[in-house]
Amino acid sequence: MSTFAKDYTDLDRALDEVRTLIEEWSSEQNSASAPTPETIRYTQLVLHEWIANLLQHADFEDRSPLIQIRLQTENRHVTCSVTDNSEGFNFQDQLPSQDEAMEDLPERGMGLRIINACTESVSYTPTNSGRYRFEFSIPADHDPWLSMLF
Amino acid sequence: MSFDVESHSSDTVIVHMGEALDFRNADEFKDTFQDHVEDGVRNFILDFSDTEVLDSTGLGSIFSLYREISPEDGKVAFADVSRPVQVVVQLTRTYKVFRQFPSVQAAKEALA
Repeated sequence: MSTFAKDYTDLDRALDEVRTLIEEWSSEQNSASAPTPETIRYTQLVLHEWIANLLQHADFEDRSPLIQIRLQTENRHVTCSVTDNSEGFNFQDQLPSQDEAMEDLPERGMGLRIINACTESVSYTPTNSGRYRFEFSIPADHDPWLSMLF
Repeated sequence: MSFDVESHSSDTVIVHMGEALDFRNADEFKDTFQDHVEDGVRNFILDFSDTEVLDSTGLGSIFSLYREISPEDGKVAFADVSRPVQVVVQLTRTYKVFRQFPSVQAAKEALA
């Protein structure tokens, strides 16, 4: 099992860097067990949507933001966590169910749906140390086309 | 970052989308297309050849463009779609709304 680990205090920088760093990390993996290019693209998209979500909506009160990204792969399966020091929010309340109707061609509100479609499991929960952790997994054979958005 | 817009005809432009269309420049994209819509442009060919990032807010701004021009028979076409953008297009099934072309030239010919 190989782990990618990176901490950021500048979320804009995280957004700019993480896509390239994950691509580089992936290319260093053993080709027999490395995630597929599609799995890496879903991972990059989910991380982008999540960090963008934190940048736009998270309440860090008077603290400097800190996020810790941990990414692991085993047998092409990806698991990832992003721990942050924000005040958090109730993720399940915000997460639309797959069969919930959506307005046609919406301008907002697609981010969590995209995250949900790209992942097999996803959660955002408090940690024992008073932080919040976003976790998701993407199996090797994940087929997000089965998850209807429109 | 500003968007590079190339005029093809009086009612058609090509927008070279650059490296990213995300929540950080979606408003700028909207300002860009708004100026051209006000000048009478109805067809927008979006060149995604260099685009590494298209996020949900960026896609939402393209929906905004489509909503604005489609009542007047305007069209939004995706051209030379990069793999990261293709993932979002497939995932959200927006290929049902926006025609895709293998190149900007093919889009120009189809919209002519």
